[in-house]
Amino acid sequence: MRKPLHLPGKQLLFPLFLLFSMIFFYHPVLAQTDTKTITGTVRNQTDEPLDGATISAKGTTVSTLSDAKGNFSIRVPARARTLVVSYVGQEPIEVSIEGQNNVNVSFKSAGNTLNDVVVVGYGTQKKTEVTSAISSVKSESFTKGFARDPGQLIQGKVAGIAIGTISGNPNANTQISLRGVSSVLAGTSPLILIDGIPGSLNSVAPEDIESIDVLKDGSAAAIYGTRGTNGVILITTVKRRGGSRPPTIAYSGYFSYQQIAKRMEFLTADDYRRLISQGVKGFNQNLDPTKGGYSTVAGTNDDYGANTDWFKQVTQEPLSHTHNLTLQGGTGQTNYTASLNYRDWEGIFKRSNNHQVTARLDVNHSMWDGKLKFNANIINRTRKYFSGPDYNWIYRQALIRNPTEPVYTNTGAWYERDVYMYVNPLRLIQEVSGETRVQDMRISGSAILSPIKDLNFKVLFAENKANTLTGYAETFNYSSTNGRRGYASRSEGLDRDDLLEITGDYTKNINDHHFTVLGGYSYQYVVSEGFNANNSNFPTDQYTYNRLQAGDALTMQNAAVGMNSNKNDSKLIGFFGRINYNFRSKYLVMASLRHEGSSRYGANYKYGDFPGVSLGWRINNEEFMKSVTFVNDLKLRGGYGVTGTNPVSSYQSLVILSYGSRFLYNGNWIQQIAPSSNPNPDLRWERKQELNLGVDFSLFKSRISGSIDLYRRVTKDMLYNYSVPTPPYLFSTILANVGSMENKGLEILVNAAPVQTKNFDWNSNLTFSTNKNKLVTLSNTLFQTSLNYFTAGGTGEPIQTYTHRVYIGQPIGLFYGWKSIDIAADSTWIIQGADGKPKSVKNGNETDKQILGNGIPKYIAGWNNTFRYKNWDLSINLRGAFGFKILNLQKMYYANPKINQYNMLKSAFDPVYNKTPIYTDLAYVSYYIEPGDYVKIDNVSLGYALPLKNNKYIKTARIYVAGLNLYTITNYTGVDPELNTQGFSPGVDERDKYPTTRTFTIGANLSF
Amino acid sequence: MKKMLYSITSLVTLACILSGCTKLDETVYDQVLQDNFHPTEGDVPSIIAPVYTILRPMEASWYGNFDLQEEPADAIVTPARPNGWYDGGVYQRMHKHEWNQTQGQPNQLWSNCYQGINTANRVLYQIDAGLVPITTGKEAIIAELKAARAFYYYNLLDNHGNVPIVTDFKDASLPKQSTRQQVYDFVVKEFLDAIPALSDKVDQTTYGRFNKWAAKSILAKVYLNAGVYTGTPQWDKCIEQCNDIIASNKYIIEPLYKTSYKTDNNTSKEIVFAIPYDEIQATQMNIHMKTLDPVMQKVYSMSAQPWGGNCAVPQFIDTYDPDDTRLKDTWIMGPQYVAGTTTLAINFIENVDGIALAGSNQGYRVGKYEIKMGARGALSTDYPIERYADILMMKAECLLRQGKAAEAATLVTQVRQRAFSTTSPAKATVTGADLVKGSVYNYGLWAGGRVSGTGGGADIQYGRFLDELGWEFAAEGRRRQDMIRFGIYTTKQWFNHVSSGANKTIFPIPEGELTKNGNLKQNPGY
Repeated sequence: MRKPLHLPGKQLLFPLFLLFSMIFFYHPVLAQTDTKTITGTVRNQTDEPLDGATISAKGTTVSTLSDAKGNFSIRVPARARTLVVSYVGQEPIEVSIEGQNNVNVSFKSAGNTLNDVVVVGYGTQKKTEVTSAISSVKSESFTKGFARDPGQLIQGKVAGIAIGTISGNPNANTQISLRGVSSVLAGTSPLILIDGIPGSLNSVAPEDIESIDVLKDGSAAAIYGTRGTNGVILITTVKRRGGSRPPTIAYSGYFSYQQIAKRMEFLTADDYRRLISQGVKGFNQNLDPTKGGYSTVAGTNDDYGANTDWFKQVTQEPLSHTHNLTLQGGTGQTNYTASLNYRDWEGIFKRSNNHQVTARLDVNHSMWDGKLKFNANIINRTRKYFSGPDYNWIYRQALIRNPTEPVYTNTGAWYERDVYMYVNPLRLIQEVSGETRVQDMRISGSAILSPIKDLNFKVLFAENKANTLTGYAETFNYSSTNGRRGYASRSEGLDRDDLLEITGDYTKNINDHHFTVLGGYSYQYVVSEGFNANNSNFPTDQYTYNRLQAGDALTMQNAAVGMNSNKNDSKLIGFFGRINYNFRSKYLVMASLRHEGSSRYGANYKYGDFPGVSLGWRINNEEFMKSVTFVNDLKLRGGYGVTGTNPVSSYQSLVILSYGSRFLYNGNWIQQIAPSSNPNPDLRWERKQELNLGVDFSLFKSRISGSIDLYRRVTKDMLYNYSVPTPPYLFSTILANVGSMENKGLEILVNAAPVQTKNFDWNSNLTFSTNKNKLVTLSNTLFQTSLNYFTAGGTGEPIQTYTHRVYIGQPIGLFYGWKSIDIAADSTWIIQGADGKPKSVKNGNETDKQILGNGIPKYIAGWNNTFRYKNWDLSINLRGAFGFKILNLQKMYYANPKINQYNMLKSAFDPVYNKTPIYTDLAYVSYYIEPGDYVKIDNVSLGYALPLKNNKYIKTARIYVAGLNLYTITNYTGVDPELNTQGFSPGVDERDKYPTTRTFTIGANLSF
Repeated sequence: MKKMLYSITSLVTLACILSGCTKLDETVYDQVLQDNFHPTEGDVPSIIAPVYTILRPMEASWYGNFDLQEEPADAIVTPARPNGWYDGGVYQRMHKHEWNQTQGQPNQLWSNCYQGINTANRVLYQIDAGLVPITTGKEAIIAELKAARAFYYYNLLDNHGNVPIVTDFKDASLPKQSTRQQVYDFVVKEFLDAIPALSDKVDQTTYGRFNKWAAKSILAKVYLNAGVYTGTPQWDKCIEQCNDIIASNKYIIEPLYKTSYKTDNNTSKEIVFAIPYDEIQATQMNIHMKTLDPVMQKVYSMSAQPWGGNCAVPQFIDTYDPDDTRLKDTWIMGPQYVAGTTTLAINFIENVDGIALAGSNQGYRVGKYEIKMGARGALSTDYPIERYADILMMKAECLLRQGKAAEAATLVTQVRQRAFSTTSPAKATVTGADLVKGSVYNYGLWAGGRVSGTGGGADIQYGRFLDELGWEFAAEGRRRQDMIRFGIYTTKQWFNHVSSGANKTIFPIPEGELTKNGNLKQNPGY
C-alpha cells in the first residue's frame, strides 16, 4: 500500500481497512494451536508477480505480504477456510483453502479499472467515486524503454492532453498542453506536483515514478486556485508498500541508440558537379559571364573541389545508458525507499550530451499505534551538459553548406567563404567550450497526527532549491567575422521555492451518508536571483571561461563585455476546503473552494475565490440495474469549477522607474530615469470557468471500461497588452484583464481486455480527443484593440513576413498568407487575388492574403496495446494527430534553386503543380503549407521474463528491446510532423532546430 | 468530533493571521519603485534625459526619420536583394507612395514624437508641481523642455499635419485633433516663447540640446516651409532667424565637408543641432548597417556584419558634377578591398536593376557618416539635424524666392567652394541666373540603365536650387521635405516611382491611433 503523502480524502486506505476488519473479527477463542501453512503466488492480469499484496486468513488476525516474486507463505489456524488477498487499486479476492496448501491468485481485471485509486488534490479517492475529469496512468502502462521525462511516459495515454516530443536534444523536455489554448499571455504549462510539492517535469527520474494522475477539468483543479487553469499533473513516486518484510533491491537499466527521425535529401557534391556541367542557372564554375550558369549574385554555388557530407560532419553515433536502482526495506513502523538514477546520454549532434544523477530517499515512521506518522523525503538531482553551441543554427548551417567545400583549408584552418549567414558548422561545435551544471535539491517533511479514528492533521514543509552554473567560451578561432580575440561568460542562478501546507481532514459515516471534509492553508514563497558576466579580447583562449578578468574588453570599450544581476520574489497564499458526500455510494457530491492571493496581482485584487463543485450518479448501484449484470459500473458525472492563472512575472502591477538609456550631459553619457510601463493596480488573475460532463463505465466483468468527457471552458479577464491612447497613458500599451477565450471538446477513453487466457492476454487502450478553440474577444469599453486580429510568427530572413493571424472570433493557429494555385511559365507563383482571380505573386499585396489552415491538430488519438504470451510481452503504442496543417519552412527556403548561395533540397528541381520547377524569389505561399496528419508507431517493446524458478539471488528478471518514434505514416515531407502546437504560431516546421530522433533501446529489469 | 476539527482549524487560521502569513507584499530587489524615488537636484539631468533620448531611435535608427524622409524621395531606394529586403513590400510601398495607415515608418515617427511630447509634459508637470527640486536655472530648463517639445510637434506638423496638441500631463481626456495651421501656430509660438530663456552658449553643456541657436534653426526651417504648412510663405521671418544665427558668429562652414560626418563630429563648428550617438553608450546610429553589403564587414574589419539594403538612385548620382567632391564624400562607389589587402570584396556599380530585385553589388552606398576601421553595429558619429551650411542655404532660398537671385548665389557659392576647392575651384561659383534654371535631374522611369518616359527636371521652378540642396544634403534625411517645397514630390517620376496623389505630402494618421481615439479623423485621401 502506498504511504499517503497527502491526507486521504474520504477514502480509507486498504491497510487501515484491513486493520479495522481484523479488530472487528477478533475472537479470543481463535488462539488455537492447530495451524497449517499455505504457500502461493499472487499475480496480476498479465501474470506478472505482485509485490506487497496483503494475504490474510478470513476471520483471523493472521496476515502476511507477498514478496517481489509474488510468493507468500502464511501460517493459518487449521479452521481457516478462506484467504483474502488484497492489492492496491484492486477489489480484494477471496480464495478457498479447504484441502489445499498451495494457492495461486490472479487479479484478473485489466489495468485502469474503476477499482483503482486515483490521486486527487490533497488526497486520494476511489476511481468509482470520482466526480471530476481525472486521468490516472500507473507505471505498468507507461511507455517502455527510453523516456526523457514523465511526459513521455504517458504520451498518447491520456485523452485531452497533448504531449509533444518536438526536439531531439537530450536536454529537452516534452511539451504539454491540456484542452487547447486557454490563455494569450499567461502561459500554458500545467501545474506539476511531485508527491504534492510543486516541481517541474524533470524533478524526478521517470524510472522512479509509480503513477501519474492528471486533473483535467475545472472542478478537480479548482482546489489549486490560481495555478489550476492549465491542469494539474500529480506525480507519485515509488513507495514502500506494506509492513514487515525483507528488504528488496530492484535494478532497471537500458542502453539506447538514436538516429535522426528522417534525414532530408540535399544536393551532394556529385549533384553539384552534374548541375554545373549541365549549366543549370545559378550553378557556375568561375563567375564567367560567358558560361551558361553565370550569375551576378555573390556567393553563387560553385565547385570548390571537395566531397563533404556536412550532416555527417556535425553528427555522431549517440550511445546512451540509464541505470536505476531502488532499495526498499523496513519494518511495520519504519520503512524507507532509496533510489539512485544515473543517466549518461548523448545526442545526435557532436558533443551534445546530458549527464544526470538523481538520488531520492523517502523515510516513513509511524508511532503511537499509527496515531502519529512522519515522512521525510529528499531528492537531489545533479545535471551536467555541454551548453556551448546553438545546435539549431548548426543544423541549418550543415544543411545549407555547399557539399563541394572542404571542412578545412590546405593549411588546416576552417574553410570559410563570404556568404551571408553562412558559417562552417563544425567550427561552431569545435571552437567553443561550455558547461551547464544544475543542482536541484528538494527536501520535504511531513507529520500526520490522527488523534481519533478518521481524523487527521497534517503539516507539510518543503524547500526546493535549484542552482544553475553556466560557463561558455569561444576560442580566438571561433569566428572569422566578429573581429575579437575570444569571448567568455559565466552565469549563475538560484531559485528557491518554499512551501508550507497545513491540512486537516475528517471522515464520518452516518448510516448511508458518507462525509469527508478537508480544510487547509498553503503558503508558497518563490525567490529567484541570478548573476552573469562576460568578457572578450583575451590574451589567450586557454582560460576558457575560468578567468574572466583576463579579458581586455572592459578597459578597451570596443568589444563585447557585460554583466548583470537580478532578483525577484513572489508569494502565493491559499486557504482551501473541500467536502465529499455520498449516499449509499450512489449519489456523489464534491464541493471545494480555494481563497487565494498572489503578490503579483494589483493592489485592488490581491485575493480571489475559486470554487469547484461536481456531482455523480452511480447508476449501477440503483435497484433497477441489479438485473443488468453485464454492467459493472456506470456513473454519470458533471462538474463546474473556476481556476486562475498566475502572471508570468513579478512586479507587473507596480509603478517602476528604470535607469537605462544614456543621455549626453555636459560631455558625459549619464543614465536617464523614467517609468518603464503603464502600471495597472487592477491587474488580476485570469478566470477560467469550466463545465465538464462525463460518464464512466465498466462492462462485462470490467473487460471493457472507459470514460467520455465533454467540456466547455471559458477564460475570462484574459491578460493582454492593450493599446491605450497616449496621453493620458505614458505608453501605448497596458497589461490588462480584458479578453476572453473559449475551448470546447470531447475526450474518450476506452480500455479493453479482448483476450484473457492463462497463456495469452491482450489489453488495449484507446484515447481520443478533439478541441475547438475560439478567441472570443480582446476588448471592452475601456480597452480596445485597434484591429480585429494580431499577427504572429515570422518566416525569418529573407522573406520576413508574419506567418499567422489571430482573429477575434476565430481559433488560434491560423496560417495567413497568399494562396498559391498554379505556377506560371516563367516559374513564378500564381496566387489567388482578393477578387478570387489568379494573379502573379509579383503583384501580390496584403489584401490578397487569406487564411490557409490551422497549425493545431483538431483530433488527437492514441492506441496502446499490450500482449502477453507466456513469458513474452509485447507492447505497441500508436498515436496520431489529425486535421491540421504544417508550414514547411525547410521546403520554402531550400526547395527553390533561385536561392543559389546555399545548398538546396534535391526536390528543388521537381515540377511544381506537375508543371515546371519553381525558380523565383522566395515567397510565403500556401504551396508550402502541407497536411500534417500523422500516425506514429511510437513505442514498441518486446520483453521476456526469464524463468527463474527458485533462484537464490535473483527473484525476477525481464529483458527487453524497445523502440521510440519508430515509424511515422504521413504525407508530410519534412523531418517529423510532430511540432510545436503552443503559442500563436503553431505548426511551423522551423529551419533551425534540433531534429527529432528515433531511439532503439535494450534493457533489463531485475529484482533481488 | 467536528467541534474539535473546527477549533483546531480556526486556531491554525488565527495563528496564521496573527503571524502575518496572509500578507502578500512583494519585496522589490532589482527595480526602483516610484514611491521610493526621492530626487535631488543632482538627479535633474537624469530626469530630463528621456525627453532627448527618444530622438536617437526616432532619427538615424531602424524605421527612423532618416528612412521616412529618404525612402519616398528621389535619392535613395531600398530594393529587394538576394539576401532579402522585400520585407512584406514596406520599402516598395515607400518608394511608390503606396503606404497606408499601417505603414511602419510614419507610424513609428508618430509614436516616437508623442513619447517625446508625453515625457516633456510629464517632466514639465513634475517641475511645476515641485516634485523635482530645481533651485537655479528653472526658467532655462522649462524653456529647453518646451523647445524640445516644439521640435517633436514640428516633425508631426511636417509629416502628419493634422495632429492633436497635448500640453497638460494630468489631463486624462482623449485629445482633440488640431488643424495643420493650428499646429504650425503652436510650434511657432512655443519656439518664440522659449528662445529668450534658452542658453546662448555653444559648448559641451549645450551640445545635443536645445540652446538658442538650435531652436532658431528649427524655427527658421518651420518658416521656410510655412507655405507648405499653411499656404502663406514666411520668407522674411525665416531670413530673420537665419540672420540671428549668422550674426552670432558661433558657427562656420568647416573647410572640410567630412568634418561634420566623422566619428568625432561633435567637434565640428558647423553643426548647429545634432543627435549624439555612441557606439557603446548610445547605439542606435546604424545607417551604415542598412546600406552596406554584408561583405563590407571585411573592408572595414567590422565587428558586426552589415545587413545590405539601401543605395543611391542612379538618376540622382547622374546629377552630380564629376568634380564635385561631395559625390565621393557621400557615396561608396566602385571596387572595395578587404582591409589591408588588395583582395576585391565587392564592386559597387551605379546601376540598380529595379526595386523588385537588385544584385548585392548594385547601387552606390551611403558612406557619408564615417565608418571607421573596426566599426561596430552602431556608429559614434552624431547625426546632424541642422548645419551652418543649411542656415546659409535657407537664407539663400528665401532670397531667391523673393527675386534676389544674385544675393542668393553668393551664399550658395560660399557653400559650394569646399566641394570644388581641390578639383576645379572655378566651378564653385554660381550666378543668380544659374539658380533660376530648372533641375538637371533626369526625372522619368528607370529601366535597364536608361530613363524612359517624359519628364526631366528642366520645368522645375528653381530646380537648380533643389539640385544644390540635393548635393549638399544628400542622405541627411530631408529630401522628402525639399521635394515637397519645390512641388515635385507627387508629380515627378523617378526610378520605379510613378506620380502619386497630392494627398501623399502628408502621411496618414496611424490606424491604431484612430481606433484608440475617436476624436481623430483620418487625413484626406487615406
